[in-house]
Amino acid sequence: MRVLIVEDEPRLAENIARSLRESAGYAVDVAPDGEEGLFLAEANVYDAVLLDLMLPKLGGMEVLTRIRKAGQHTPVLVLTARDDKESVVALLNAGADDYLTKPFDLGELLARVKALIRRGKGQPAPVLSIGDLQLNTVNRTVRRGGKAVPLTAMEYRVLEYLLHRPRAVVSKTELLEHLYDYNWEKFSNVIEVYISGLRRKLDDGSSHHLIHTMRGQGYILQE
Amino acid sequence: MRQNSIRRRLIATVVLSQLLLAAGLVFAGVFYTQRRLLAALDAGVQSRALSVAALVRYTEDASGNVYFDETLMPQSLDPSHPDLFAVWAERSGLLTRSSNWPGGLAISPNEQPEHWDFPWGEVPYRALRVSHVPVLDREEGKAFQPQTLTIVYAAPMVSLQEQVRAAGFFIALASLVLLAITVLLALWGIRRGLLPLQNLTAQAAAVSAQTWDFRVPEEALQSEELRPLIEAMVLMLARLQDSFQQQKEFLANATHELKTPVAVLKSTLQLVLQRPRTAEEYRAGLERSLEDLERLERLLQGMLRLARAEQWSRGTLRRDLQPIDLAATCQEAAERIRGLAEARRVEIKLSSNGAVALKADPEDLQLVWMNLLENAVRYSPEGALVEVGITRNTNNFVQVVFADHGPGIPASELPHIFDRFYRGDPSRARATGGFGLGLAISKAVIEAYGGTIRAESASELGTRMTVELPTPDAR
Repeated sequence: MRVLIVEDEPRLAENIARSLRESAGYAVDVAPDGEEGLFLAEANVYDAVLLDLMLPKLGGMEVLTRIRKAGQHTPVLVLTARDDKESVVALLNAGADDYLTKPFDLGELLARVKALIRRGKGQPAPVLSIGDLQLNTVNRTVRRGGKAVPLTAMEYRVLEYLLHRPRAVVSKTELLEHLYDYNWEKFSNVIEVYISGLRRKLDDGSSHHLIHTMRGQGYILQE
Repeated sequence: MRQNSIRRRLIATVVLSQLLLAAGLVFAGVFYTQRRLLAALDAGVQSRALSVAALVRYTEDASGNVYFDETLMPQSLDPSHPDLFAVWAERSGLLTRSSNWPGGLAISPNEQPEHWDFPWGEVPYRALRVSHVPVLDREEGKAFQPQTLTIVYAAPMVSLQEQVRAAGFFIALASLVLLAITVLLALWGIRRGLLPLQNLTAQAAAVSAQTWDFRVPEEALQSEELRPLIEAMVLMLARLQDSFQQQKEFLANATHELKTPVAVLKSTLQLVLQRPRTAEEYRAGLERSLEDLERLERLLQGMLRLARAEQWSRGTLRRDLQPIDLAATCQEAAERIRGLAEARRVEIKLSSNGAVALKADPEDLQLVWMNLLENAVRYSPEGALVEVGITRNTNNFVQVVFADHGPGIPASELPHIFDRFYRGDPSRARATGGFGLGLAISKAVIEAYGGTIRAESASELGTRMTVELPTPDAR
């Protein structure tokens, strides 16, 4: 998963980014002002956007309106210092999916971002499953047929993304775009490594393969 | 404390003055009536005396002796209390006395005053003495020495006193009725007159921190006595509301501004605690937390300083001030900012036309100069000059000007730069670690010393901050 943080307070942006990377294994981009935030949101594909309201150059509200005007459905979580009813209503009406008032709890922020991403992909339950494979997004564990499958951080991230789009063809570029931050092109040939690792660990002791390669198109996760 | 009622006092005053008036009226009325009646009585008594004198006749010889003819006695003035009289002839002495003349009443005709009062029995009498009355009776053709008479005539004053008493009673009664009417009128008038005050009270009572709306009743505004009070109240309310609004804004701003550094500190600590870490990572995390905390502390210090300075400027807190040299405080501030200036290769040039003695807390002024210098240095391009000019003015104030050659402040921002927490360009302020408090604090401090601060700016030419402070001779 890839998340964009638009926040002008550098220390706060850094803390949120580190927390998302460490605890959720997300790829995170940070924009220090509204203009750059809007540019990044339009140029890349994000699974969620965290948006501060008081931003230099371009206000958070304006960024939000423009993102929605461009037809993007990316879930947006707004970080605000104001929690009065009027501004919250205005925010949600402008297209925000959720909001958090400063000072917030990092754990809550994380949970809300995860929930937003799940809902954004039509997967409301925190445990994603296909066939006898189960992935718990809360404690980041994977089980197949009731047996725990130990995965590396990158393998987990690839599987999590595939599970969010079950039975759909996911291209290598799509995987790269959603798993890495802005310098993803550097990693273009590592996807195969993670896929083969995943296959080996998931199909261990099972004749039923879950990840299939569609030649020239990408990968598909299905029973 | 004993409560005083204006209404009660007004009514008491009216009643008292009316009572005084009534008493005066009764007294004057009784006095006048008595005088008039007495004059009338005196006239009556005199005419009776003269008619008694007319009853004295000469004898039918040439002796010139006289006698009293009782057959033609006039009626008494008061039938129930007959008159008394005595007639003396010039030569023969007491001629006659009325039959009811009291036995013990001795009157010597030559020693009595013209008028006098005396009581007889239970009855008060008014007496008149008439002397040298010629005997009216003339025997034609007889030559003898004529005589004159002295008559004392007294009439009872019972009816006079009764009349005076009746008049007094009537005046008193009329006064009391009038008094009752005037008191009622006064009560009504006072109640009616105080009605605008009551309305005003009701309106004033409706004013609260939530509703500052003070609707002045039209009637109260037209009242000459209430108008100054209303004007004072309106002014007071405006000041209160202003002050309240300021406090409210300050609190709202402060709360809002505090949220970000608190959020930073909280997130830093939570990030450290998110999972087990090495001692080195904990150490780094704690150091970062400390940095965040220091930033928070700086913001709090700034806010406290501003709150204090604003309190001084309202004159609520007085401190001991010492005589200082203004130029020296400028020098000191420039010294403290030197590090920053050198890093940005900005030169600070100080000029003054002599020492300026001032009574102040040197820390306060240094704080202001440092804020202004820091802004000037930060917004100056590299290698530029920041000029500080101190001019002692003859008009008993000193002018301190800080001029930089920076990009200037946009005209749209100029009116707001002294507002608390105002940051022209948030990114620029954030980058320099500003909270938007420096200029607000400077303004409050300068105003606390009775001075003014203003900013002029032209795009691409730079910014000029002018501080004017009154010097001791002006105070």
